[in-house]
Amino acid sequence: MQAVGKLINYLKPYKAFAIIAPLMMLFEVSMDLIQPTILQMIIDNGIAENDTPYIIRMFGTMIGAAVLGLIGGVGCSIYASRAAVNFATDVRHDLYKTIMYFSTSSKDEFTLGKLITNLTSDIEMLQRALTMLLKVFVRGPMMFIGAVVMVWFTARELFSILLVVIPILAFCVYFFTMLSGKLFHKVQKVVDQVNTKVQENLAGIRVIKAYNRKQHQIDQFTDVNTQLMKRNITADQIVGILAPLSMFVINLGIVAALWIGAIKVEGGTLEIGAILAFTNYLMMVMNGLMSSSMVLVQLARAIPSAERIVTVLEEQTDIVSPKHAAEHSIRGDITFENVSFSYIKGAEPVLKHVSFSAKAGETVGIIGMTGNGKSTLVKMIPRLFDPDEGVIKIDGIPLQQYDLQQLRESIGFAPQKATLFSKTIAENIRYGDEDATEKQIAESLLAACAMEFVEKLPAWTEHQLTQGATNLSGGQKQRLAMARAFVRKPPILVLDDVTSAVDSISEKKIQQAIKIQFAASTKLVVSSKISSIRDADLILVMDDGRIAAAGTHEQLLKTSSLYQEIAATQAEKGGTLSE
Amino acid sequence: MSKSSTGGPPLPMRHPGGRFTGPVVKPKNQKETLLRIWHYMRQQKLGMISAVVFVIVSSLLSLVGPYLIGVITDDYILKLDVGGAIRMAVLLAIVYTIYSLLTWLQSFVMVRVAQKTIRKLRQELFEKLQSLPLAFFDKRQQGDLMSRMTNDIDNLNAALSQSVVQIMSSLLMIIGTAFALFYLNWLLALVTLTVIPLIVWATKQIIKRSSVNFVARQRDLGRLNGYIEETISNSAITTLFGKEKQTLEEFTESNELLRSSAMRADIISGFMGPINNFMNNLGMGLVIGVGAVMAVHGYVTIGVIAAVVTYTRQFFRPINQLSNLLNTFQSAIAGSERVFEILDEKEEVADQPGAKEKERFRGDVEFEKVVFEYEKGKPILKGIGFTAHAGETVAIVGPTGSGKTTIIQLLTRFYETTAGRILLDGHPITDYSMTNVRDHVGVVLQDTYLFSGTVRENIRFGKLDATDEEVEKAAKIAYAHNFIKYLPQQYDTMLSSGGMNLSQGQRQLIAIARAILEDPDILILDEATSSVDTMTEVHIQKGLNNLMRGRTSFVIAHRLKTIENADAILVVKDGEILESGNHDTLMKKGGFYATLQNNLALE
Repeated sequence: MQAVGKLINYLKPYKAFAIIAPLMMLFEVSMDLIQPTILQMIIDNGIAENDTPYIIRMFGTMIGAAVLGLIGGVGCSIYASRAAVNFATDVRHDLYKTIMYFSTSSKDEFTLGKLITNLTSDIEMLQRALTMLLKVFVRGPMMFIGAVVMVWFTARELFSILLVVIPILAFCVYFFTMLSGKLFHKVQKVVDQVNTKVQENLAGIRVIKAYNRKQHQIDQFTDVNTQLMKRNITADQIVGILAPLSMFVINLGIVAALWIGAIKVEGGTLEIGAILAFTNYLMMVMNGLMSSSMVLVQLARAIPSAERIVTVLEEQTDIVSPKHAAEHSIRGDITFENVSFSYIKGAEPVLKHVSFSAKAGETVGIIGMTGNGKSTLVKMIPRLFDPDEGVIKIDGIPLQQYDLQQLRESIGFAPQKATLFSKTIAENIRYGDEDATEKQIAESLLAACAMEFVEKLPAWTEHQLTQGATNLSGGQKQRLAMARAFVRKPPILVLDDVTSAVDSISEKKIQQAIKIQFAASTKLVVSSKISSIRDADLILVMDDGRIAAAGTHEQLLKTSSLYQEIAATQAEKGGTLSE
Repeated sequence: MSKSSTGGPPLPMRHPGGRFTGPVVKPKNQKETLLRIWHYMRQQKLGMISAVVFVIVSSLLSLVGPYLIGVITDDYILKLDVGGAIRMAVLLAIVYTIYSLLTWLQSFVMVRVAQKTIRKLRQELFEKLQSLPLAFFDKRQQGDLMSRMTNDIDNLNAALSQSVVQIMSSLLMIIGTAFALFYLNWLLALVTLTVIPLIVWATKQIIKRSSVNFVARQRDLGRLNGYIEETISNSAITTLFGKEKQTLEEFTESNELLRSSAMRADIISGFMGPINNFMNNLGMGLVIGVGAVMAVHGYVTIGVIAAVVTYTRQFFRPINQLSNLLNTFQSAIAGSERVFEILDEKEEVADQPGAKEKERFRGDVEFEKVVFEYEKGKPILKGIGFTAHAGETVAIVGPTGSGKTTIIQLLTRFYETTAGRILLDGHPITDYSMTNVRDHVGVVLQDTYLFSGTVRENIRFGKLDATDEEVEKAAKIAYAHNFIKYLPQQYDTMLSSGGMNLSQGQRQLIAIARAILEDPDILILDEATSSVDTMTEVHIQKGLNNLMRGRTSFVIAHRLKTIENADAILVVKDGEILESGNHDTLMKKGGFYATLQNNLALE
């Protein structure tokens, strides 16, 4: 519930809408409520007294009330929608902004999939709940209370019936609402299972076919499918009791009204019109209760969404720019001083006391088996993570003293996973440098050996990539990701195992291009292949988070047994022939 | 439940997770689709018939109620006959009791009918998907198939379990109430009916306007959600390149578009409730006004007015409901059409009559002028021919897109040849049953897929009745045991869907173990070790060598070492075999292969 309090702030600019909407609804409900009373007056005064002008006057009042009610209802809809849509749009904006500036560890903690859900379904859920709250939550209880009050004033003789009917009805509604919540929660669980099964069978269809496991998969599916049917039947059947049951209770109320009414009319204490009005109010009591319960269910569902959203909004980003950033244009000297880091506090560190330094223009090669901290090491430089211990300096100034934007703009980073956007190739390259000219784009494509396939595409650099660039091979994606880093002409260039899917001949060409075009840049190259880093000024051999050995290729061949071992497995035949 | 200003179209209540719910799509061939749905429901004949009977009886009973109220008012209460009134009230109570019971029963029965029908349909769709050829999956987006299996079937589910009964009872109610009204007083009945054209007209106007706005809103929402999905998934790149501001600006643009279109759509659709409410009140007012005037002049009794008022209420409710229901039904039919479309797809080639089943294959493989094309006139393979003898290892080499993977996919019968033949142990591959071929050809694919479940279950996928010992033995040969023993629950560690909590290399090791366990007669390795680092690969290679010994193996690899040791090398380029032979003969020949090798040697 605290979460709700936080989110209320977003409603402040639209306070007027949020107040007007329920008021308008109040208006509509009041107009609905007086209708049975007018009916009663027409019967008991107009018809009984044969007073036609009175009847016509009352008829006019009734139509007038209907029109006023319409205005109220329409007004409510306008203002409620305004408040809810504006509210949701603003929350979505702030949420997206918060997530955009999240630190990498926050993203890992929340997971990207959940953050996407927060931005889509959770927000929609909130918007829906707010609309409901502003429209129906006033209508339901008002209808209910209003009807009770009206009965008190117009048909007090029958009021005792309400005292019996309402508690029974309220209990039924409460009981079934709670029950349906539980039942549909169970249904949802199986729905998730069914969806997972379908999704996996679509994604893994090749494996299933290759292993001829069609029947096995069908058997598994039959189980969850049957279970889903059973749970659905139970849930629907039980929840389906509520409507007939409440109708039954109300109808019994009507019977009671006629019964007691007959006695009272005979006794002269009640007029016939009151009985008719009463039966109408009974209907309103039921509708009021039922719709209130529906809104309550909706609200109960929205609260977890609200809580999730507030948790994200309140997440403190620990990696931020300093208040007074160092004014310094980055040259590219990099120093790691005794750097340790672990992803989870208290867990085994991924980097253990790493120290090395590189001068601007040098190449640092980082090699080692998978899972030994190579990628983590280079990710520390653009401050995706801050070290737990030790300092990283560029040009002698600790990273934390640089403006984040400036720091990251000085780094051309080609990550291990070559992620591209569903835009044109040119737009993807321009992600590295918005102002890049066509010539610069072409140059960077050439340097990354990407031009050879780009120029075969019908639209060249204007070729539109699909989401996830599914129509490109792994090697092609890696080349584009490299070109995107190259186009920045950065003082620091980081290549995180970006040539794993590129054939050896192309890789050679790329290495040549880097040597010439990025002579002044500091280059960090992560790879599991010796051929990618052999010419580096400094090679770091990583083992279990530590630098096991450092030096040039020739030095390491003599001094490091681990390096020798790697070299032996790759020998001179370690190259790749074709992609 | 009746008149409601809850506003908006019926919202999908049960699946808040569905991100992209498109606008209501108009069905193309309503009649035929309805007939097909009927064909499924007919299988629950007994349930259907009893539901229909319950609906008819309960609708009739619901008409009796107001009539009795009128009678009680006029003939008993007004005549001060208390005893008679109470007797009649008891009768009314009995009518209501039976009515409530029947309404419950009809939904009780109908839920069963609907759920069983849905299960059958879902099952058929799933089995169909399992029987479709791979070419089908190449053309379709996974998300689209997913939504047919979930959203579309759910739409039909909603329509079947609620709408069928409701539409029927609404129609019966409207007709019955109209009759009752005319029976009671034709003039008042006419007054009630005058409002109907107004309701129909107003509803049409709103739907017309709101559907335009809904399409706009769904479009904007879809675009925005798509943008969110992609940018958040790729946000690591945004951070690395410091592009937060630019991304946020683009987001804001879409978000603002949605703000205005969502507002318009919500406001207009929100008018439906109040306007319906107004129509009801208007109709009621007219009936009461006209009725009262008539009563003063002695044309009707108060009891008749009482009954007419109740009937009128009963009359408007189903009309309002119907317009909502028709919407639900339309999207249900549109959804079923999309489901039936898949059910009508052509299945994988059926086995020839009397297809052979072989206990073991020797492993002689021969391609005879094999041509394959995805699209007519654009051949991927242009007459591939080669022979591999039992026990040989064949390496297939060539640039991206040359057709290497296609060759082996024909061998697993993922696709059928367009022309030419593939012989297995001297007989055309099509002479064997599909299951027989796939049972004896083992494949480790380039993109390994793991299912959610334990590591053990995933390896066991290769041989369903394998013992734990066999599973572990296979894992050891594949060099997977080394990392599995460090997993939190070792072989019982749960993998997430797609095996995302393992590295690409580890997933490949599990896939290799799976193939080892299958113990196939012919083995195919498609870049099986591309994501494994070289040191690990050396270890696996030993295991693989053991596995390949004595069986025909096809290897698509890019590491030279693997290729060199092969008995035969096929160099494929642009769908043709450029040259073939073993390493030495190809080097001597000085062709494409030799050029590639020499280029590398220059390093």
